[in-house]
Amino acid sequence: MNAAEPPQSPVSALEPWPDTVHWQPISTDLIWVELLRLAMGLAVLLVGLALGWAFSGHWLFGAGCALVLLGGAWRVVTIVRAVRAWGYAERADDLLVRHGLLVRRLSIVPYSRMQFVDVSAGPLERAFDLATVQLHTAAAATDARVPGLRPAEAARLRDRLTALGEDRAEGL
Amino acid sequence: MTDGSPGPGAPHPTPPDVPAAPPVPDAPRTPHPAAPDFPAAPDFPAAPAAPAVGTAGPAGAEPRQRLHPLSPVLQGAKSLVVVIAGLSWSTLSRVGFGWFAVLVAVLALGATVLAVVSWYNTGYHIVGRELRVHEGLLWRRTRAIPLERLQAVEVVRPLLAQLTGLAELRLEVVGGGKTEAPLAYLSVADAARLRHRLLAVAAGLPDGATTGPAPQAMGVAPADGDAAGPADREPTGRPLHAVTNTDLLVSQLLTPQAFLLPIGVAFVVAQFLSEGSWSFIAVASTLTAMAGVLLQPVRRVLDDWNFRLAREADRLRIHNGLLETRVQTVPLERVQTVGVTWPLLWRMKGWLRLRLEVAGYSGGEADDRNRPDRLLPVGDLTVGAAIVDEVLPGVALTALPLTPPPGRARWLRPLTARVLGAGLHERVFAVRSGLLTRQLTLVPYARMQSVRVVQGPAQRRLRLATVHVDTAGGSGAAAHDRDLAQAWALAAELTARAHAARRAR
Repeated sequence: MNAAEPPQSPVSALEPWPDTVHWQPISTDLIWVELLRLAMGLAVLLVGLALGWAFSGHWLFGAGCALVLLGGAWRVVTIVRAVRAWGYAERADDLLVRHGLLVRRLSIVPYSRMQFVDVSAGPLERAFDLATVQLHTAAAATDARVPGLRPAEAARLRDRLTALGEDRAEGL
Repeated sequence: MTDGSPGPGAPHPTPPDVPAAPPVPDAPRTPHPAAPDFPAAPDFPAAPAAPAVGTAGPAGAEPRQRLHPLSPVLQGAKSLVVVIAGLSWSTLSRVGFGWFAVLVAVLALGATVLAVVSWYNTGYHIVGRELRVHEGLLWRRTRAIPLERLQAVEVVRPLLAQLTGLAELRLEVVGGGKTEAPLAYLSVADAARLRHRLLAVAAGLPDGATTGPAPQAMGVAPADGDAAGPADREPTGRPLHAVTNTDLLVSQLLTPQAFLLPIGVAFVVAQFLSEGSWSFIAVASTLTAMAGVLLQPVRRVLDDWNFRLAREADRLRIHNGLLETRVQTVPLERVQTVGVTWPLLWRMKGWLRLRLEVAGYSGGEADDRNRPDRLLPVGDLTVGAAIVDEVLPGVALTALPLTPPPGRARWLRPLTARVLGAGLHERVFAVRSGLLTRQLTLVPYARMQSVRVVQGPAQRRLRLATVHVDTAGGSGAAAHDRDLAQAWALAAELTARAHAARRAR
């Protein structure tokens, strides 16, 4: 808390500059998408373990089932919190994306550096009327993915990003 | 593309530039006066032995040019080495020398025949601001390389090519995971000329060759200050530095591989002595393994032999190599990051190494030989500082405003915390790391792609965060374990400065 103090002192690790940045949350429907994905993974694991238990009768398989269920319950809590923690903000010159609970990440991507924008929606996402927007720059490490957007909002964001990107495009 | 191979056989009744039109949409002058005495096949010169100067002709649309006719021979010779390496010692012992030779000859001959076929179907030309490379017999491929995105040009001359007076031209383009369009092989004069033209087009200079009077542009690149002699193997322009070969040798002896080799040799010899058997295969395999260990230092010596660095207008010209000479031309504005490395064993000499990253050489190539990232293979601090000042004007290597992370970062990195440092210079973001092999990375603000702030669980407890700066080439820079408030300030400042730097251009 010493050294060069920014104009606004940050309140949380995920929300720097609370006065100037207007964070937008993503749709909470993404929770259901993630939960269904988790449920499918868990179901496969549980069926496997249960079959093993039924045929061998070894207690370790039962313990495995319990562990998987416990882990699943913990994941449910983190999924809910992680989706709530995900957010993005459009500033004048750059896009801010924050996500992650255990490891918190914030990406600042200038529009002028944009190479292309991906809009994608898997079957599960489509079922919940969601889409994902991903911004790519020339750097492979850039991490600017915004999931859980309504298609209209995704299209708006894509159009705005491409318009701003073209407007300010620069080479490398 | 499709008119490539039938061209030489059948004379076209139509004006010569009509068949060339489909791949060349911007043929500027259709009714050019030279049409009557133009050769019947407009795509290629009638004699394949003349792929060089005269072929540009007075045509508006530049005809396609072939690679040098000797190139299939060189490709075949190259495949000979690959074949022998692929068959390995054990095959030799199993089938005997005679059959081994026959096998090698057959495979190499096959490769040469394929090389001839591919040479016949390969052509290149510059169209507008693109270099187009046509290749393939069954699967035809035309690559259009937009020259605005050209990052670096390299003229490579392997040993065989040096003996035959040929050279390979390699282009680096953003987004290419690997070297794009190696044109192998051209005559040295052609390669130098083509490089000048490509760079002129890439820099947005009016390239006379495609739109204006072609012959002059082919002769001497008009946009460049220095008259590029056809065989300019020497770096032209203002020489910056030359590494003495003894320094290079000593520097590569001061590497772990060279240090540990005697121990390995002693171990193997002791084993042989105790077993008492000296079969040819065992000795040969051991020698091969030794060569493998020493490969990196030996390669560095061979690659960086005779290293010379020159500045030519706003480009860097890097010349190096013993068996395989290469001349790399990197426009200064394409430099994404500059890395300074102080290996542990070099500290007694006070030496350092400089690398530069150019977009286009991502981690795609595991073999880092082909990455033109050497800026200085070995040198002392004053030399390094001078070169850094040349590449990034105004950046003093010795006076960077680096600040260490807060003391509590020691909980996360007990050993390296005191080496870490990050600072905002006027033009670059500087980051220092590494306890044994110390590294300093300089990223110009104008080259930054994005900024990330990452905070792991342990860092959260200590209120620390890591600031990453992503660049288009290389791995960017990371300021580890900064105080959280300082990290936010750093990220904000970096973003603002990057924006200002981009605006200023």
